[in-house]
Amino acid sequence: MNDDIAIKVENVSKKYCKTLKRSMLYGISDIGRNTLGLSSHSEKLRKDEFWAVDDVSFEVKKGEVLGIIGMNGSGKTTILKMLNGIFWPDKGKISIRGKTGALIAIGAGFHPMLTGRENIFVNGAVLGLTKKEIDEKLDDIIEFADIGDFIDSPVKFYSSGMFVRLGFSIAINIEPQVLLIDEVLAVGDLSFQNKSLRRLAELREKANAVVFVSHNLEHVRTLCDRVALLNKGKLNFIGDTYEEVQRYEELTRNIRLKNVRMNKRIGKHMYYSSGDIEFLEGGIMDESGNSTDEIFIEDDVIPFLRFHVNNPIENAKISVAVRSTHSVNCIWQYSNDKDRKKVYKLEQGEYLLKVRYKNPKLAPGIYTVAFSIRDQKTGEIYEKNIGYMPTFKVTGKAFERGIIYVESEWDVKKVDIIND
Amino acid sequence: MSDTIITYEPDNSLKKGYLSIFREIFNELKENRWLTYQLFKRDFFAVYKQSFIGVFWAFIIPLVSVGTFIILNRSGIFSIGDINVPYPIYAILGMAFWQLFSTGLITGSNSLVKAGSMIAKINFSKKTLVVASTGQSMVAFLIQFILVGILFACYRIAPTIAILLIPVAIVPIMLLTLGFAFILSLLNGVVRDIGNALSILVTFLMFLTPVLYAKPATGMLASITKYNPLYYLVSTPRDLILMGTIPEWKGFLVASIISIIIFVVCLIIFHLTETRVAERI
Repeated sequence: MNDDIAIKVENVSKKYCKTLKRSMLYGISDIGRNTLGLSSHSEKLRKDEFWAVDDVSFEVKKGEVLGIIGMNGSGKTTILKMLNGIFWPDKGKISIRGKTGALIAIGAGFHPMLTGRENIFVNGAVLGLTKKEIDEKLDDIIEFADIGDFIDSPVKFYSSGMFVRLGFSIAINIEPQVLLIDEVLAVGDLSFQNKSLRRLAELREKANAVVFVSHNLEHVRTLCDRVALLNKGKLNFIGDTYEEVQRYEELTRNIRLKNVRMNKRIGKHMYYSSGDIEFLEGGIMDESGNSTDEIFIEDDVIPFLRFHVNNPIENAKISVAVRSTHSVNCIWQYSNDKDRKKVYKLEQGEYLLKVRYKNPKLAPGIYTVAFSIRDQKTGEIYEKNIGYMPTFKVTGKAFERGIIYVESEWDVKKVDIIND
Repeated sequence: MSDTIITYEPDNSLKKGYLSIFREIFNELKENRWLTYQLFKRDFFAVYKQSFIGVFWAFIIPLVSVGTFIILNRSGIFSIGDINVPYPIYAILGMAFWQLFSTGLITGSNSLVKAGSMIAKINFSKKTLVVASTGQSMVAFLIQFILVGILFACYRIAPTIAILLIPVAIVPIMLLTLGFAFILSLLNGVVRDIGNALSILVTFLMFLTPVLYAKPATGMLASITKYNPLYYLVSTPRDLILMGTIPEWKGFLVASIISIIIFVVCLIIFHLTETRVAERI
């Protein structure tokens, strides 16, 4: 292993068993084989087994912070546990330079009956500290946890906040050379979180390398030098933080779109029909007039609706909305609004409605369309539809936390206040 | 601090060969002495803190068992046999040594399961858990010796000077307990039936072994006792205290050798396969 590499993961795989009974049998058989000095043939899948981590390779250089992102069940935590040596890979090899410490198990092994102080010793010992090290760090740990007199009360009387603060405080005061962090930054109130982030930054300075697993893309963006994107146990990509985070967002959008398509609809639904009009098909179109489910951020949004009129309507006004999955109407216009004043006379037969919303720059995400047709004079509804139309995806590299993307100019200046 | 490189690979321990395993185990146990002590202390306080009579619960089990046998004997249902010391002293002593084995075995075999969440989240020496948990039976043993002392005073008899040899005489039964605890805790981590079966089995073994009654001279129980290593391991320290001699030293020797072999084999198995537990527990 080169001197500048802190962690090297080579073609590592790990399998899990889906059924408990088989898992027990396999466990016994593995124990038996290992005892007799036979190989446990861990590279082969047995019945009901699957690769939770599949042929993953990466390196972490000294001084680098690597983020691992991916959806639930993508194998992030399994990799972290293998890096920590909690269990071993079934295939491949992991090499780590230096003592590994993990911020994975906050307060694991705390005994409710023991006081906070007693638990510091037990937990610290389990995490690999010697008596001398704990004696040295005891005051720091207690001060960092900031739980006052409760330190000498049994842990079972702690609030959940105090419990995690003490656990986190112990974990973060170990100074490992390779630090593994799993989703633990959202602990305690804001001031404790800030304190933790500061401490973490210090740790990063000292540590050989940091591996950070999180769903919180904001933290990943801030902390990581490089990001690995896992999907279903496989390493999809590894590279620049912004690019990978964006790739991940794209991936989650695709999956959400698929879920929504499979009738797992998101948001509020409403449907009403008087029988006078029947909606046949709706959605959005691309420039060539074909129905589509993906557009780019720069594109116009073109909702369309095919509907059949059963009974003629004298004065119909039509509304077309583009909604986010959080049921926010991002765009919502009526045909008879002030600047258009369009009211339609609908005869029996089939119609096609097309609206072009010009370059709205919706932030990348999942959206849907909603339509309604009402009588202009009375306001009575002929047909209305929310949440039943197909969803579509807006794709783009733009990074935007809100619902519309705008280019911006920023200016921060010190203003001198002139005292008269 | 020098940078050491740690590697994780499948079947890791095996590649190093069987010989280096002994040194690995020894170093691991040595390095983790303090951790073992901390875990022991945790278990100890955890059991006795939220309790009024605390450690004196260790008196209750032997007193109840011995009391039951006295009642059974007095009413002629069960014959204790021929014993030349006051029965309570004989029985309580027997129970003290027996419980060293039985409590140690049960707490030891549950030790990994009880610490399941910790094992699944932290990488530390699992052997310390087993060793620390059998330490609980040591504590109970020491407390029971207070009871023995009281009984000696009540009956106005004195133990022989050979009582000083007890720390050595209980080494074989401790090794046997630890050995079984290692392998059973591992299996219990994977298959929970082990723990359930064990508590029944231990009770059964106690009645099968002359702990609360004298060694029978004839019958099926006599021949079973002859080949029951547990009998020698329990009765030898008891004989040392009551008579100052080891009448059945051959049996004790064989039983001790068996204990040592079981201990070593089980420890190696545990060492080779302990990483399997974290993924199945």
